[in-house]
Amino acid sequence: MRSPETAGVMPDSDVVVRTDGLTKRFGRRAALRDVHLEVRRGEVLGYLGPNGAGKTTTLRLLMGFIRPTGGSARIHGRDTWREAHHVHRQIGYLPGEPSLHDRLTGRDHVRFTSRLRAQRDDKRAVAIAERLDLDLDRPARTLSKGNRQKLALVLALMSDPQLLVLDEPTSGFDPLVQQEFQALLREHTAAGGSALLSSHVLGEVQRTADRIGVLRAGRLIAVEEMAVLRERSLHRVRARFDDPVTPADFARLPGLRDLTVTASTLTCSAPASALDALCRRMAEHRLADLECTEADLEETFLAYYGGEPSDAA
Amino acid sequence: MLPEVLRQTLVLQRRSLTTWVTAVILLVALYASLWPSIRDQPSVTELMDQMPEVLRSLLAAADMSTPVGYVQTELLGLTAPLLVILFSVVMGASGIAGEEDRRRIDLLLANPVSRTRVLLEKVAAMIVSTLVLVSAVGLALLAAGVLAGLDLPVGNVAAAMLHLWLLGIVFGTLAAALGAATGHVIISRAVPGVVALMAYLLNGLAPLVGWLAPLRKFSPFYQYSGHTPLVNGVSLAGVAVAVATVLVLAAGAVVAFRRRDVAG
Repeated sequence: MRSPETAGVMPDSDVVVRTDGLTKRFGRRAALRDVHLEVRRGEVLGYLGPNGAGKTTTLRLLMGFIRPTGGSARIHGRDTWREAHHVHRQIGYLPGEPSLHDRLTGRDHVRFTSRLRAQRDDKRAVAIAERLDLDLDRPARTLSKGNRQKLALVLALMSDPQLLVLDEPTSGFDPLVQQEFQALLREHTAAGGSALLSSHVLGEVQRTADRIGVLRAGRLIAVEEMAVLRERSLHRVRARFDDPVTPADFARLPGLRDLTVTASTLTCSAPASALDALCRRMAEHRLADLECTEADLEETFLAYYGGEPSDAA
Repeated sequence: MLPEVLRQTLVLQRRSLTTWVTAVILLVALYASLWPSIRDQPSVTELMDQMPEVLRSLLAAADMSTPVGYVQTELLGLTAPLLVILFSVVMGASGIAGEEDRRRIDLLLANPVSRTRVLLEKVAAMIVSTLVLVSAVGLALLAAGVLAGLDLPVGNVAAAMLHLWLLGIVFGTLAAALGAATGHVIISRAVPGVVALMAYLLNGLAPLVGWLAPLRKFSPFYQYSGHTPLVNGVSLAGVAVAVATVLVLAAGAVVAFRRRDVAG
């Protein structure tokens, strides 16, 4: 195997996906701007952003369906545009809105895919379909939206590819199927596989992702370890005091956000690491009431990286 | 590797091809059933003789009292080419543009098959299914010879069908190429339709309009029927020009399809 190019860079063999300054313009509109992204071996990367932020564009660039206007994307070192069909050998792809052949059954679809991928049998596909509780003998046109999604997922997973590229994989799944999907994903990564999952809701990927990348208006604004993100997760603190308080009483506490102090109340957002100091400071007063709830990761995200409101349609 | 895209495309087109084959067989049967009454009516030939020169030229009108003349005028002049071109263009346009329009091309392209292979096998599927359709016309004509006394020379029927097939796939490949280059179903159906109409008029009117005469050889209809294959058999030059046209269009389609973004 090749040695690391420079200190601090992952060895090439551990980087499955790497984009360098990946840029895509449609006419004059920049859908994606200068994205540097890595997906490593055995990792699930959650790719988050509101609708229209460029998630699907990124995934389609990785699949070689569209051509970068700047920068490049490589999968296992191969260029995703010029060597697309080589790259596809190692990718299972789930489109955002899967289209199927209406008259064909699930089994027909599986057969088509396994022939195109030169697979010997359909056992793996049948096993996955069973776990997702999908009937492979019904024509696609009779399937519900959720079941069509399941079939498309079976087609993506059935060849046990090294990399999964899944565009909003669990939209339309009920909670039980979501759990099964998460189990499949864990098995995939335990076997050394990687996955890139896009979603516009953090809740969908926070249980499965090792890292989260956040996309906003075509720019990758943050890539964060899930563990770090949890540590930073904000708590909404609301306190009422019996004696008067002033903003100065709570000044210079590190990490507090949105601090508002009136004559007898305090509200703020605080990461877990700031809670101890905050409580000590509050204990210097007579507390009448205290409320402390964990904000969801969505809010944490917006607080750190967002600023402007979601531009989702 | 086996031509899996070709195989799948043919499997998916089975129903529509069966319908078309049934329709053309019924059409030939209809013409054959009219033959005995036309043959016995010299007035039909007189009527044809009285038609304006322009119409006679457009319809490639021949002596309607002989089986060859009847089939040439009634079937191979306009109806059969019209249907075969329509079929080939629809099939050619459905290959890439149709799949893209239904947002289904990902199903193919996400697999380890190159765009070149997908495109060429889609064109091959159009060529094969057009061959099936044209063979059905040919076999129906030979059957009509046995059943309705519409006696035609077998070798020349085969020659006429070869030229009919080539005529269809020239426009089918044009449709496939436009679909590969643009991804638009309407463009890839409408443009070959208009081009076919112009080519038909060019071939039909060139003998009457002086300045059109030198252009006639560029019309695929000239390669198709300029030498009246039902009488004279295969024209090697006609075959060569048609095959070359298909190859050039297919090559252009590959170049265009490999360069552009596909919709999804």
